[in-house]
Amino acid sequence: MRITGSARIAAAAPEQIFRLLLDPAVLSKCLPGCEGLERTGEDEYRMRMKAVIGAVSGAFDGTVRLSDQKAPQSFRMAVEGSGRIGFVKGEGLLKLAGQDGGTEIAYDGEVQVGGMIASVGQRLLDATARMIIRRFFTRLSEEAGQ
Amino acid sequence: MIPQNFDYAAPSTIEEALELLADPEAKALAGGMSLIPLMKLRLAAPGRLVDLRRIAGLREIRQDDGALRIGALVTHSEIESSPLVRSRCPLLAETASHIGDLQVRNAGTIGGSIAHNDPAADYPAALFALEAKVKVAGKGTERTLPLEELVVDAMVTALEPGELITEVIVPVEAASTGTSYQKMRQPASGFAIVGVAARLEKSNGRIGSVRVGVTGLGPSGFRARRVEELLDGTAGSDGEIREAAAVVAEGVEANADLHASADYRRHLAQVFTVRAIRAALARAS
Ligand SMILES: Cc1cc2nc3c(=O)[nH]c(=O)nc-3n(C[C@H](O)[C@H](O)[C@H](O)COP(=O)(O)OP(=O)(O)OC[C@H]3O[C@@H](n4cnc5c(N)ncnc54)[C@H](O)[C@@H]3O)c2cc1C
Repeated sequence: MRITGSARIAAAAPEQIFRLLLDPAVLSKCLPGCEGLERTGEDEYRMRMKAVIGAVSGAFDGTVRLSDQKAPQSFRMAVEGSGRIGFVKGEGLLKLAGQDGGTEIAYDGEVQVGGMIASVGQRLLDATARMIIRRFFTRLSEEAGQ
Repeated sequence: MIPQNFDYAAPSTIEEALELLADPEAKALAGGMSLIPLMKLRLAAPGRLVDLRRIAGLREIRQDDGALRIGALVTHSEIESSPLVRSRCPLLAETASHIGDLQVRNAGTIGGSIAHNDPAADYPAALFALEAKVKVAGKGTERTLPLEELVVDAMVTALEPGELITEVIVPVEAASTGTSYQKMRQPASGFAIVGVAARLEKSNGRIGSVRVGVTGLGPSGFRARRVEELLDGTAGSDGEIREAAAVVAEGVEANADLHASADYRRHLAQVFTVRAIRAALARAS
């Protein structure tokens, strides 16, 4: 599933947003359900997540890898996670651009979801992915405002 | 297809239920139409189910002060067939009749549907058009909030862990109000690919008090305020209805899935907005 879109963060310029996006403490606060993000190497983190989406809940273990960093304009992020209820694998490019003192973040990526969650939840995958992204940027925006 | 082991409790009062739900491993069970299949697939594995169906106070429909108060555990088929709902708030009864199949309507509840907040659920269209309020109880707390504040995103509500929806409050409509719910159903489940509810009044040949609620199109149901504004005060000619309906999807991030692309959903939303408004207009007097 292709995921593209953009989010605007009024409170901070690209330099600050770039820094926040690469800070594991901030990321783990902003990712819905993230229970811990632990640095395992240069630009590589281990992530534990407890996703609670409606009545569905499941734990995911995975990795987050950042690459092609061009501060403060862009970087690539690869996420992989799996758990009892299925797996998620995604890769995408995030681009930051200054706009009226704030930042416009454009994202473009490809996500695969598999396992039980995908075979029975197909109808809701797209809506759920967008929901998680919106919540992420809302929280990032709150972090940037502080 | 066998759920993980769980405890089961069937309290008879809301207070007992809230006490049991204070345990983070516990989950409320209403009609079970959404929750039980998820448990069988092990996509949900609550340690304890707190069955709300024995709580008598949650199964009533009452009229009081110009409003209908519908208990959270009232089933879709009870709403569909209730003489009180059919005469005082026909839009809600009509909407309930469009949900799933008979088995789902016999077991599924209005509180469960609102709490689950599936983007394709039918009720939100009507409840947004009716500016419904929802009563929510927690341990020692109680609040009433507009549906608009309860609904946060796809499958996400502002309910705190351990909180319960206890009542849904909709206005008693004047007999002269025209209402209609029109949907495109997904053939297998019945869920709304897009659903639109309209309510309006007509006086001296002009349309007034228009409310339009939409479901299936975006992450959650919503009120199409721009459509309402464009239609308010017009004579409701075909051209005016089309022009108003044309903006229904403006600013909405449309859903896409196997059944319908985002563009197709946006198109359907316009078509079904026209149909709902026309039908409501024909019923207004
Ligand atoms: C085959 C099929 C077809 C369907 N088609 C449609 C359709 O066309 N249109 C449509 O709108 N719906 C449809 N549904 C969904 C149906 O309406 C469900 O009944 C509804 O979504 C959930 O209600 P429930 O009472 O069964 O809740 P449950 O499954 O018991 O619970 C759902 C969730 O809500 C929570 N919950 C339940 N009650 C409360 C409460 N009072 N307070 C707080 N939390 C609560 C539960 O803990 C759980 O997380 C369909 C379902 C099935 C299985």
